[in-house]
Amino acid sequence: MIKHLLNVNHVNKYFGGNVAISDVCFSVEEKQIFGLIGPNGAGKTTMFNCLTGYYPVSSGDIVFDGKKINNRRPDEVCRLGMARTWQRVKPLGSLSVLDNVMVGAFAVTRSLHTAEKMAREQIHVVGLDDYAAQLAGSLPIGLKKKLELARVLATKPKMLLLDEICGGLNHTETWAILDIIRSIRNSGTTIVFIEHDMKAVTSICDRIVVLNAGEKLAEGTPAEITSNRDVIEAYLGGGHHA
Amino acid sequence: MMKQAIIPALLLAVGVLIPLLIGENPYITGILITVLMMATLASAWNILGGYAGQYSFGHAAYFGAGAYTTMIILSVSDTNPLVAMAAGVVVAGLIALVTGAIVFRLRGHYFGLASIAVAEIVRLVVLNLEFTGGAQGILLTDVKFYGLDLNSKNPFYYGMLIALVLTLGITALVRRSRTGYYLQAIREDQDAAASLGINLAYHKNKALLISASLTSVVGSLYAVYIRFIDTHAVLDLRLSIEIILTAIIGGVGTLWGPLFGAMLLVPLAEILRSNVLGEALVTHGMVPESSPVGMFLKEHLAHAHVLVYGIITVLCILYLPKGILGLFRRSGK
Ligand SMILES: Nc1ncnc2c1ncn2[C@@H]1O[C@H](COP(=O)(O)OP(=O)(O)OP(=O)(O)O)[C@@H](O)[C@H]1O
Ligand SMILES: [Mg+2]
Repeated sequence: MIKHLLNVNHVNKYFGGNVAISDVCFSVEEKQIFGLIGPNGAGKTTMFNCLTGYYPVSSGDIVFDGKKINNRRPDEVCRLGMARTWQRVKPLGSLSVLDNVMVGAFAVTRSLHTAEKMAREQIHVVGLDDYAAQLAGSLPIGLKKKLELARVLATKPKMLLLDEICGGLNHTETWAILDIIRSIRNSGTTIVFIEHDMKAVTSICDRIVVLNAGEKLAEGTPAEITSNRDVIEAYLGGGHHA
Repeated sequence: MMKQAIIPALLLAVGVLIPLLIGENPYITGILITVLMMATLASAWNILGGYAGQYSFGHAAYFGAGAYTTMIILSVSDTNPLVAMAAGVVVAGLIALVTGAIVFRLRGHYFGLASIAVAEIVRLVVLNLEFTGGAQGILLTDVKFYGLDLNSKNPFYYGMLIALVLTLGITALVRRSRTGYYLQAIREDQDAAASLGINLAYHKNKALLISASLTSVVGSLYAVYIRFIDTHAVLDLRLSIEIILTAIIGGVGTLWGPLFGAMLLVPLAEILRSNVLGEALVTHGMVPESSPVGMFLKEHLAHAHVLVYGIITVLCILYLPKGILGLFRRSGK
């Protein structure tokens, strides 16, 4: 039986008079890699902020794992099992890489010892072993992105929301991250994936929703999306390299 | 683990032995008590300000809560001073919880502003109430504590030393616990902290409560030591500022920084206050006594210690963001 881990029902989000998200619906199945794409300003990050409790939705429902989470605080959402990374990375700058990831691990354990062990595992998963003792603030952007991933993985989420985790990375780094994401999914975590790089998106996602100016433009498999006229129009019309 | 314990153990041994070495010297002991007191206050402030990054500009409120509660109880009954001290912690804790409940819901730097407001409200309330002695303050004629000679300063020296050890011990424990990691995460980035499952308001309140309770204990000790308090002595904004400066100059967010700050600033303030420097310059003929500079040195330098604190703080913020202690540390850990 297919289980929907996340249901987004008719969500609207206004900032004053500006509509950032307009009547968007979609559902994410368990263990899916679900792509959320669209041109700049389409409302992707805003959707993540609504899902994780940073913005209250103006109307509509968000149901995660059978629970309505519209008005939950961000920390509650994380503890329910939905964790996110940040498009503009947010390292805990004056703490070490290990300490950063331990903060994540403390979501599931109180023990310092266990937290350190779990943190080292996740640091290994993203390949930051050599940087464990370095201050997070001193890492180059590519490694900060990996740190975001390790830190959020340490919270042991059921669902992971990745906001342009490959943004600013070169080709090799991107594919390394995509491999990690696949293996995370294979170990049972559902993933929602915001990304501009169409090659990356189509190669990894099971299903894709396209947002444009706050509205849902299309939904389907990668093949359906890449051949969809509206999508091509929105991307090319907006002057974006897809 | 063993190695880490050596320096604290040595420091503690020195702390315990000093009164025996200097004998009955009320002047020096008095200065040392002030060093211990400011070190403890700055360390308690540091748990909230240094680790959680929530700068309180009103810690005098908690100091005053401890001092006033203790003095009021002891002046009307012969309760055990420790019980009076515990009552002070309860009062300070309540003030902290009310402040936190209101302010920590809001995002941004409201806490700093609100902490000043709360401290001023507490000061004005105390100043205008009957049973707090109003502007006259409270005098304690007699106090007994397990047969100790409380006319000597030594019991208070050891009392403050215990408070300091307790505060540093709690800081060390907090630092190596989930709470310590969470406080530092909140200091570094609140959005990131929340996204990792940290309840911001809860943990800020926790830090405030620990910090306020320890501050109140010092207030109680101080009150019984001086045996006279009024709002100038224990609820003044100046005290709040001195606590912050001590922590900043020593090094915020470090275990030992506040102690360093106190060891540096208290003697410095004493030198300025007693004006040995100004008088020495004048009497040794370096500066003519009748010149404007000479008059300034003789008359006003004594009042300059807050100014000097301020200048040192500005220099610290500009050149030593990690405080004096930062000088001795390599970058990294
Ligand atoms: N806090 C806010 N206040 C006002 N407007 C906002 C806020 N956050 C987002 N918006 C607006 O909502 C719209 C969607 O922005 P959002 O950041 O969600 O886009 P995005 O799809 O993530 O774009 P990008 O690909 O550039 O990251 C934009 O017009 C933006 O200006
Ligand atoms: Mg975005």
